Amino acid sequence: MKSFFRKVAFGIGLNEEVPSDPLSWALNQVSDVPKLSWTGRLNSEKELRLLYREWVYNDRKVIRKKYKDNKTLYKTHRDLLRHKTGQKFWESLEITVRHNEAINSQSPVLAKLWMFWGNFFTISDKDFLPQYSTGPYQREIIRPNLNQTFEKMVYEVTTSWAMIHHLDNSESAGPKSVTAFQDWIKKKKEPATINENHARELLELHTVSPEAGYTQEDIIQLAYIMTGWQRRWSKKHLETGDIWFNSEYHQPGKKKVLGKEYKKGKKALAAVIKDLVNHPNCRDFVAERLCRYLITDEPTKEMKQPIIDAFKKSDGHLTEIHKAAIKVAFDNNDKYKKFQNPENWFVQVAKISDLQWPPSPTLMDLYELGNKPTRSQRYPEWLLKRIGHHPYKAKQPNGWSDISNDWLSPELLIRRLVYAKESYLFNKPENNNNDFYNKIVQKNFDNPEKIMKYLNKKNNPSDKQVLLFNHPEFLKA
Amino acid sequence: MKLKINRRDFLKSTAITSLYFAGFGLPSFANSGPKKNLVIIMLEGGMDGLCAIPIKGDKKFKKLRSKINLDKTFSLTSDFDLHPALQTFKSLWDNNLASAVHATSIPYTGRSHFDGQNLMQSGGKIPYSVKTGWLGRGMKLAGLTGNGLALSLPMPLLIRGVPMNDNYFPVGKAIPANDILEMIHNEFDNYSEKDLSETLKVIRKRKDGGHGYTENSALSLQAGKQLAKIDGPRVAVFEVGGFDTHAAQGSTDGAHADCLKEYDRILKGLQASMGDEFKNTLVLTLTEFGRTIKQNSSNGTEHGYGTAVLMSGGLVKKAQIHSDWPGLKKKELFEGRDLNSTIDARSIYASAMSTVFDLDFKRIQKDVFWGEDLQNLSDKLFKTV
Repeated sequence: MKSFFRKVAFGIGLNEEVPSDPLSWALNQVSDVPKLSWTGRLNSEKELRLLYREWVYNDRKVIRKKYKDNKTLYKTHRDLLRHKTGQKFWESLEITVRHNEAINSQSPVLAKLWMFWGNFFTISDKDFLPQYSTGPYQREIIRPNLNQTFEKMVYEVTTSWAMIHHLDNSESAGPKSVTAFQDWIKKKKEPATINENHARELLELHTVSPEAGYTQEDIIQLAYIMTGWQRRWSKKHLETGDIWFNSEYHQPGKKKVLGKEYKKGKKALAAVIKDLVNHPNCRDFVAERLCRYLITDEPTKEMKQPIIDAFKKSDGHLTEIHKAAIKVAFDNNDKYKKFQNPENWFVQVAKISDLQWPPSPTLMDLYELGNKPTRSQRYPEWLLKRIGHHPYKAKQPNGWSDISNDWLSPELLIRRLVYAKESYLFNKPENNNNDFYNKIVQKNFDNPEKIMKYLNKKNNPSDKQVLLFNHPEFLKA
Repeated sequence: MKLKINRRDFLKSTAITSLYFAGFGLPSFANSGPKKNLVIIMLEGGMDGLCAIPIKGDKKFKKLRSKINLDKTFSLTSDFDLHPALQTFKSLWDNNLASAVHATSIPYTGRSHFDGQNLMQSGGKIPYSVKTGWLGRGMKLAGLTGNGLALSLPMPLLIRGVPMNDNYFPVGKAIPANDILEMIHNEFDNYSEKDLSETLKVIRKRKDGGHGYTENSALSLQAGKQLAKIDGPRVAVFEVGGFDTHAAQGSTDGAHADCLKEYDRILKGLQASMGDEFKNTLVLTLTEFGRTIKQNSSNGTEHGYGTAVLMSGGLVKKAQIHSDWPGLKKKELFEGRDLNSTIDARSIYASAMSTVFDLDFKRIQKDVFWGEDLQNLSDKLFKTV
């Protein structure tokens, strides 16, 4: 039963009581989205986007020209500019905040679901999004919507600066739009046209999935509906301007997606999203993904049904969807054990063995813009890359896999062996006593005697870390 | 279209071939010739075959790509040029060690990266329906257990389907001592965690935790060294990302050029580190789709269909562009916008596996590609050693 605390969260910490009613404990965490438990510095998405602007603007418009004849000087000034805009610091800070929520907050279950949705609506490794924007996007767009409707979540994600930049919607113009017409009047050889990228992902990854059987024409029509949603371009802000609806780029006329007609204009996006999230394949897809994340690679119909029902009954209210998923995970806890992805695994290592992790607010607050961050301030980002699972650097918009086999390879297992050992460096001195492993094993395993017998074959705490956290019962939950 | 084999049949064949792993396998070498190697370089994002190998003297093509035309090229044949970033490829071409198939693609026209990348690796027609890669299944058919090497951190789908593959992407730290690994290994076995146990077995064969660099050019040197060993891997897989150039694709020095250069550096590294064994090797590219003929308004290109497969190594028959050229007139294009594909790229891969693994083409066609309609191009494209 105790693996349930890791299945839906990150295990029980050294100084926490083991909840007597695990299901209620989990269910009670998903109704509210409390203030982040992080007490250190934090910047808004918009503030960080201004730094992104400072970086691209000065790189592209100033130093590239200024140092065009001297590669070395260009490189030096580019590095100075990186630090002036905090390029090497923000992602580590954001990961720190994320891990702090998982380890030190009162709602680790919500934190695990936050990670799920951040990956569901992935901003993959493109341009400088991981360095400035993906963290705050997950904080400001994903997290506040964890107790709202799926529809609201999809709409806010779709019109967010990060997603529009990520999936090129600013480059999409209706072939019959004012802009395209002007291009034609100006006899431009290449009048503006659509970019299908964002429309395709809205269907494939964010709502109905390919199971819905949409056609290329549906994608084009949805792209027409989405034309005009773009970054406000200016010479000063370049691509970092706020999102607005530019009617000059909008394709006029009616559009038809999955058999339904939509009028022209700004409001059509909300209308089509409403229909997409109410499509039966969308409910099925969300249920499938949640089960795959929490329970098993191959969810059964019986697992998905209660989540689909909750979705339908609550009009896609995420609190109800989450509660249904947690119940299914609880009911299947003994039968199904899910191989934990590397980030979840490391957070569980940190929480259960009471590591000095994540970095403290004091350490992160010491960072000053313009300076190079210290190694300890950069460690979070560095570590996640090393274990093969940097949450802001998925290679593709479909995000990190939730299929176990994708996380099973020699190199990935090497990293768990190496970083379980390395984690000992973060052990607190007060935990250096005989009773420590006994306590943490009691709290987190159903068969503590067996596990302790295995651990006691080695005396060195760093060996114990490797053994415990690569034990088959720990790798799965 | 439905796959011609159902999942149950597929599992049946998996069960039979997994006996190799249990120790009943046939020897890896079906003949007594040299050890032959197959390297696949996955070009992710949609490689623009017409950027790598543009057609000569097509005015319409030049016009459609006014902003991203190449201002200088190498000349390959009377019909085709080569992107100037592909310097190693050109020098190999000059020695009859490189060639290409043009106007080819996997049979996928959906233009989605995720479905496309899944299918280019699984070799199937329905995304996510097959959980193994065509290369993994081919290796399994050839009894090549423990002979695959991926030069990337997560194991690509492409070589799944045969157990005990290795991946190399060094962490730069020592792994725990052998007695600890032994304890963990025993525990995996006690819990019947077969996959974990097999994976740990591969790790324990390694001499170090892996110190080294992780750029593709550095990885190619390591891979080449391993491939050159008589008891080393026979298959290696690289990944080069970034081909999805919706904007600023550029011409000679643009974003697509940078990706092609990275591919070219892998060739250079392999050639340098494999020495003589490069002659017993085939290096092929694999991508999910080509790109639209026409540039978009961001000086990039959209997801398309037909593309090119670049081939090199000593097992290439000769310097040639093998193509059944479909033409670039509007009515000749796929859906009026993309270079058409006249050769199923899986025919190239099946032929390559037939050549390198010494397997009958028909067996590969039947057991790896579900008996689908593929051409045997072995004699046209590859050398038999």
